[in-house]
Amino acid sequence: MKLKLPKPSFWLITLAVIWAAGIISVVYRFYNGLGAATNLSDQFPWGIWIGFDILIGVALAAGGFAVCATIYIFNLKEYRPIGRPTVLTAFLGYVLVIVALLVDLGKPYNVWHVITMWNHHSVMFEVGWCVMLYTTVLFLEFLPAFFERFRMVFWQDLFHRILIPLVIAGVILSTLHQSSLGSLYLIVPTKLHPIWYSGMLPVFFFISALAGGLAMVIFESYLSARAFGKGIEHRLLAQISRVIAVVLMIYLVLRLQNMVERGAFKHVFDGSSEGIFFLIEIILGYITPMMLFFNARIRESKAGLFFGAVLTLFGLVMNRLNVAITGMARSAGVEYLPSWMEVAVTLSVIAAGLFIFRLAAKYLPVFPREEKTGVHQPPLIEAGRSGKLAMGLLAGLLILVLAGFGYSLAVTRPNQSADAPQAAQAIAAESLEFPAPIEFVQSEESPGQVIFNHESHVDTSAPNCKNCHAGLFSIRASKAGAAAQTRAVGHDQCGTCHNGEKAFNYEESCDGCHMSSE
Amino acid sequence: MKAAILTDLTKCVGCEACALACKEINDLPRDSANHMLTAYTWSAMEHRNGVNIRRQCMHCEEPACASACPVGALSKTPEGAVVYDGSKCIGCRYCMIACPFGIPKYQWDKPIPLIQKCIFCYEKALKAGEQPACTAACPTGATIFGERQALIAEAQQRISSTPEKYQPHIFGLKEAGGTSVLYTSAVPFAELGFPANLIEESYPNLTWKVLNKIPGIVTTGTAFLAGLWWIVNRRIKLQEKPDETL
Repeated sequence: MKLKLPKPSFWLITLAVIWAAGIISVVYRFYNGLGAATNLSDQFPWGIWIGFDILIGVALAAGGFAVCATIYIFNLKEYRPIGRPTVLTAFLGYVLVIVALLVDLGKPYNVWHVITMWNHHSVMFEVGWCVMLYTTVLFLEFLPAFFERFRMVFWQDLFHRILIPLVIAGVILSTLHQSSLGSLYLIVPTKLHPIWYSGMLPVFFFISALAGGLAMVIFESYLSARAFGKGIEHRLLAQISRVIAVVLMIYLVLRLQNMVERGAFKHVFDGSSEGIFFLIEIILGYITPMMLFFNARIRESKAGLFFGAVLTLFGLVMNRLNVAITGMARSAGVEYLPSWMEVAVTLSVIAAGLFIFRLAAKYLPVFPREEKTGVHQPPLIEAGRSGKLAMGLLAGLLILVLAGFGYSLAVTRPNQSADAPQAAQAIAAESLEFPAPIEFVQSEESPGQVIFNHESHVDTSAPNCKNCHAGLFSIRASKAGAAAQTRAVGHDQCGTCHNGEKAFNYEESCDGCHMSSE
Repeated sequence: MKAAILTDLTKCVGCEACALACKEINDLPRDSANHMLTAYTWSAMEHRNGVNIRRQCMHCEEPACASACPVGALSKTPEGAVVYDGSKCIGCRYCMIACPFGIPKYQWDKPIPLIQKCIFCYEKALKAGEQPACTAACPTGATIFGERQALIAEAQQRISSTPEKYQPHIFGLKEAGGTSVLYTSAVPFAELGFPANLIEESYPNLTWKVLNKIPGIVTTGTAFLAGLWWIVNRRIKLQEKPDETL
C-alpha cells in the first residue's frame, strides 16, 4: 500500500535524535541538578514538564474512562471497536506522565512517601494517589488484549467478572484526578492571573479534559488508520464529535458565565498578552471546534472531523499551558522559556508514547479485526490528502503557539527594574544603637582586662558591621553565656586588624587593649 | 506560647546582623548575596526605596506550604514555627507554588535538592524557649521576639502613640489568615515589595473546601454508576428475553 507513513528510515532517525537528546538531558539533569538542565528558578518552579507533560498528558488520557463508561455502563456496544485503543492511549499517557514526573521531582526515589506519609489536606497527595490507582486500573483494563493474544481463556473469564467494578473505579478515579489537577491551582488566588483563576477550576479541568480526551480518540483513530492502512470507524467518530460539541458548549457557557461573574472580562481586552492568549485559547480551541462539530457536513468529512479534533486538542493544550505558564508569569516577575533539555525530554516522552502505541497496535489485538472494517469504507487515498492538509494546519498551529509564547514572554517582562535593590544605602547613623561594652574574660597570663567598645571601633557616619560580623566575631548570644563567648576571643582575631597596618600592632603595645588594673 | 517576630522597619538600620547571624547558626555559605532569599540565604536584607527591609519566612498561622505538601514534610509546630523535614520531601515544589509570599526556595544547583527557608531556629533555639539568632543579633531592637499577642499589642501601641511615624497597618495581622512574623513600617507595604493582593481567608481552606468533598463524590458516584449499570442491563435483558450472557 502506498499510503504508509513517510519512509520509516526518516522517522527512525528523527526518533533516534529525539531520544538521544532526551537521554542526554535526563542524565545531565540527574548529574547536575534541575538548575543546570532547566530554566526553572525560585520564581518559576514549575515549567513545561509539569505544564505540558503532566497536565496535558493526564487530560489526553480522559478518553479512556469516558469510552469505558459508554461501552460497559451505558452498554452501548457499538463503541467496542474504539475501546481498546482508547484504554491503551490512556494507559500509555499515565505511564509517561509518571516518567516525566520522576524526571521533574527533586527526589524521585522518595516518591513512594506518598503511600506512607499522608497529608490528606494536600491536593498533590490526592493527585499522587489518583495517578497510582488509575494507572493500575488502566493496566488491568488493557490486560484482556494480552489474554486474547496468548489465548488465556481462564483469565479472560475471570477478568470479565471484575470488569464492571473496575470500570466504575476508573470513572471515579478519573473524575477525581482530572479535577484535582485544576484544584492544584486553587491555592494560588493571588498568583494565577484572574482570567484563569476561579473557584471552578476543578470543574473546568474536568470538562475540558473530557472534550480533549474524546478528541484524542478521533485523532488517534485517524492516525492509526493511516499508519496501519485500516479503515476508520467513521460513524462512531462522527457521533463522538457530536458529543464533543455538546461538552464544549457546556464548558463555554460555564466558563464565560463564571468570568462575567468574577468581572474577569476587563482583563481580556486590556491589551495584555494574557488577554490575547485567552482569546486564542477560547476562540481557536473551544468555539471553533464546537461550531465545526455542530455542523453535520463537517462531521461527515474525514478532514473536518480530524481538523476539529486537532483544534479541540489545541484548546486543551493552550488552556493547560495558559494556567501553568502564561497565567503565572506576571506574578512570578520573571520570564520563563523552557531550555532545550526541557524540550528534549518532553519530545522524548511524546515520541515514546507514539512508538509504544504503534508497537502495541502492531502486535496486540488493539484494533478490531480487518473484516469488520474496510468494507464500506471509501478508498484510503482521501484520508491521505486531507491528512496532509490537517498535518499542515497542525504544524502551523504549533508554530503559532511557539511564536506566541515567545512574544508573550517578551511582553510580560517583569517591571522590576524600577525598584531594584539599591546597592548602597545610607544608614541612619543617629539611630544606631551599640551594645554595651563587652568585657572579655581574662586569662591567667593576661596583663589586664580587655573591654571592647563598639563606639571606638565603628565609624558611625558609615558603619559597616560586616567587616567583623559574623565571620570574625560571632554576633549570636551564646547559650553558654557571654563569658564563654568572650573567652573564645583572642589575639588571632583582634590581630586581624591590630597588625601594625590597619591599627596598632598588638604585639608591640599590650596596654593599648589590656588595661592595667590600677 | 505562640512565638512571633515583630520587625519594625522604621528602626532597622540595615546592618545585616540578622542575616549574618542566620547564616552563622544554620551553617549557610557566607559568600552568597544577602539581599534576597535563596536556598542559602534564609534571612535577607533588601534595601529598597531608602528602606531597609528584612525578609524571612512569615510563619503563617495556617501555612499554605504545609497544606500543599503531599508528604507532610512542612509543618507548623505548636510553638509557631513552620519547619521542614528534608527526609520526607519528594521535591515536587508545590510548596513553592502555594506560598503566597514566595518563601520556600530550592537547591537548584544540587542533584539531590532540598527545599530551604527560615525555620525560626526551631531545633536550635525556639524548642527550648529561646529566641532565634536573628532577633538576638539585632543591635537596634528593630526585629524582636515575643508572644504573638504581646507583639501585636506592642505594634498597635507604637502606631497609636506616634501615628505620624507609622502606616496604620500591621502586616501579618490578617494577611493570609495571619502570620507569626509581623511588620510595621513608615512606608506603605505595597511600595516595599510586600504582596499587596493577599486574601485574608486561610489559604489551606481554598483547597480543603474541595478536597473534603471527595468521600461524598466517591460514595455517591459509585452508587450512581452501579445503579445506572444495573438499570441499563436489566432493560436490555428484558428486551432480549432471558438469553445473553452478562
